[in-house]
Amino acid sequence: MNSAAEAGSPIADARSLRRRLIGLIAVGEVGVLAAMALLIAFFWLLEPAFLSERNIRAILNVVSFVGIIAIGQTILLVAGEFDLSVGSVAGLSAVVAAKLMTAAALPVSVGILGGIGVGALIGLLNGLIVVRLGIPAFIQTLGMLFIGQGLIQVVTGGYPVYPLPEAVNTIGGTDLAFGLGWSFAFFIVAAIAADFVLRRTVLGRNMYATGGNKEVAHLVGINTNAYKIGAFITVGALSAVAGMFVMADLGSGGTSIGSGWELTVIAGVVVGGVSLFGGAGTVAGGVVGILMLKVVQSGLVVIGVNSNWQQIAVGVIMVMAVGLDIVRRRYFIAGA
Amino acid sequence: MSNASPQKLLSATAIAKNFGGVQALRGVDFDVVAGEIHALLGQNGAGKSTLVKILNGVHPAGSYTGTIMLDGQPVSFASPADARSHGVGYVPQEIEVLEQLSVAENVFAGRTGLGDGVLVRQRRLEQRAGEIFADLGIDINPRAYVASLTSAQRHLVMIARAIVMKPRVLMLDEPTASLSGTEVDALFAVLRRLKAQGVAMIYITHRLPEVLAICDRATVLRDGQVAVRIAREDFDAETFIFSMSGQRLQRLFPEHAAPVGAPTALEVRHLTVAGHSGAVHGARDINLSVAAGEIVGLAGLLGSGRSEILHGIYGRVHAEGEIRVAERPIAVRSPSDARAAGIALLTEDRKRDGLLFNLPVGANITIGNLGPLSRNGVVRSGVEKSSILAAMRALNVKASSPQASVTHLSGGNQQKLLFARVLMRAPTVLLLDEPTKGVDAATRHEIYRLVVELAEKGVGLLIVASELEELIGLCDRCLVVADGRIVDEFGRGEGGEDRVLRSVTAAQAERQAMASRVSS
Repeated sequence: MNSAAEAGSPIADARSLRRRLIGLIAVGEVGVLAAMALLIAFFWLLEPAFLSERNIRAILNVVSFVGIIAIGQTILLVAGEFDLSVGSVAGLSAVVAAKLMTAAALPVSVGILGGIGVGALIGLLNGLIVVRLGIPAFIQTLGMLFIGQGLIQVVTGGYPVYPLPEAVNTIGGTDLAFGLGWSFAFFIVAAIAADFVLRRTVLGRNMYATGGNKEVAHLVGINTNAYKIGAFITVGALSAVAGMFVMADLGSGGTSIGSGWELTVIAGVVVGGVSLFGGAGTVAGGVVGILMLKVVQSGLVVIGVNSNWQQIAVGVIMVMAVGLDIVRRRYFIAGA
Repeated sequence: MSNASPQKLLSATAIAKNFGGVQALRGVDFDVVAGEIHALLGQNGAGKSTLVKILNGVHPAGSYTGTIMLDGQPVSFASPADARSHGVGYVPQEIEVLEQLSVAENVFAGRTGLGDGVLVRQRRLEQRAGEIFADLGIDINPRAYVASLTSAQRHLVMIARAIVMKPRVLMLDEPTASLSGTEVDALFAVLRRLKAQGVAMIYITHRLPEVLAICDRATVLRDGQVAVRIAREDFDAETFIFSMSGQRLQRLFPEHAAPVGAPTALEVRHLTVAGHSGAVHGARDINLSVAAGEIVGLAGLLGSGRSEILHGIYGRVHAEGEIRVAERPIAVRSPSDARAAGIALLTEDRKRDGLLFNLPVGANITIGNLGPLSRNGVVRSGVEKSSILAAMRALNVKASSPQASVTHLSGGNQQKLLFARVLMRAPTVLLLDEPTKGVDAATRHEIYRLVVELAEKGVGLLIVASELEELIGLCDRCLVVADGRIVDEFGRGEGGEDRVLRSVTAAQAERQAMASRVSS
């Protein structure tokens, strides 16, 4: 009623414009997109090859793998938890799937389902332990990171699983368009679906409520434990999918698949405005964040910066992004 | 009145303060002299805590208007630490202890080095704390962890923390709220000793017998102003009650008559709620019923178990007993069971368990109510928006848009927003925990009207409110809760605040007598 009455007057128009601008800044993705545009322009000016077809394809390809995990991690962060074991889970699922297809000689589809099952199961375990036993997600999933790495060695005996059935190589080698394959297609579809779920569905809204304030969510009748466990399972399953896509891409169940991804993924989604405190951020933001991180890494390579400095740049960007997130929360979302 | 009078240790003149448009204090003059215990009385929301928080720097200089003089010199405290260094100590109403630390460390919190270097001298701390406790006649082991203490013991630790600073002015905000009879006696002995040492004390309480027992002078606040100042020789419980409540009682509340022959909306039998962490809180064997269209109040002191009864019914905490809604028995294991049965709860603390600060106004209203606003799990934005706007209009929630942040809403608007949330499902039974806490006078009246309107529509309401005046004025029937039991019940017009206070006191006396019989 209030806003409808105001809308007519010019002062109100100016005010609502200002409000809309503030609202725009408050939307995490816009800031990251602007920053990314600047960075792309910067790298391109220094080295036009940065925007070569080959480089763009390389960036998008890498983003498709970690991006799949970033989708799950974003959902989990929105629900107020996070998972450090995603890289290990990706690697473990890949080698388990590879073993099922080779050593156990099961059909490729069973192997894939087995891999996803491993990821989902670990997610379930992480979720149950965090929610029911009250062990902080940091500890539980850090523990799972080590357990997963150990299990990879146990399953493979330290050797990559090779060769894989021809069907797997076909999945990895398919060029759908612009040299991008199934992993990129899956990534895009999953990102759009997950973004829609968080933005538009009751499930998504309840997820934000759970991450925003668990007690309030519980009081309005939301089964917060189920939501958190569900988010853990989702991130586990998506990690498994990402791991298997890398396996298909490499044509072998390598033991180093997924190693080091956990921090890249968290850094990326946080850069994209997903809050580590829970209850804020979108899949679109998280995905754009991880894209930006990869743009920076690639850009620094292309313009010939020493690799040590690349690491430093990633660190600086992440800290800056979290700083911005905190400022943003204080001024636009802010709680007590 | 002149401020320069030498006996006045601490004096405040023309203190005014508002919170986001709510005028908490409107020009209050207050002073305290050395060796005096000065009672500060008034209903909840009268401005007592605000005044004390200004006097000890919680609300820093600049956030209010008026002057504060200490020893005739104007002072402005930037923080509680600043006030402490001037010899002004404060024991807050809420228990603020560091659970992970020992009692001794809590007593010396912030000064654990005792002024000699960076190391914490554990043994000396414990020894000093032990001496203080011995002096106060308190039996708490200084080496115990605060996590293992009851809330009464925690409060004593906080008092010890203030006393250890050797303050010249000591403010106590409801220090006996969680203390038992003997603990109160011990506290009074301490206060008398401090008084003999010339400490000036400001004593906030709701318990009038305590004022009669220990205070030398009393100032009664009402609506942010001084209603009356009373000297000890004129002390009289009736005078206090009269000046605290004023004469606005009859006209303030909308008319409502208890329904006759209405069906039962809520029936509770043998409800028992365990107290958390072994404290006295909780409720035992509660039997009550609320008719459709009836407004029932739960009166009692803080910590009497009032809120626990509501939480037990709503499934927020585990409870044993039978609950029937509209004469159908229901099993409540979680809030979602209670909601499915038509029970709604408005919680007391908006910031902690009411609002979702990560969601805008609109989503805050519809959260938990999205079922009818969605199709196949997808929220229908148009339907949601129109129902949000309708709810905001119905409850007069003033926000720029459904997309606005809830952070910047006033307390009253935040409360109306939460009302909109709980009413969206059209509950049969509405449980309200302190529905007017921290809201301005205008919203307060809106809430009263809303409560009566809901009752007229046939909703059964069960209300907890600390302001007895409000509860008695609003409710068709009041149940008095003390120590987790219902000890008295009276209908509209059959009693007032005095009756509640008397029943509570009688129940406490009875319990104490029983306790002493058991121990002898």
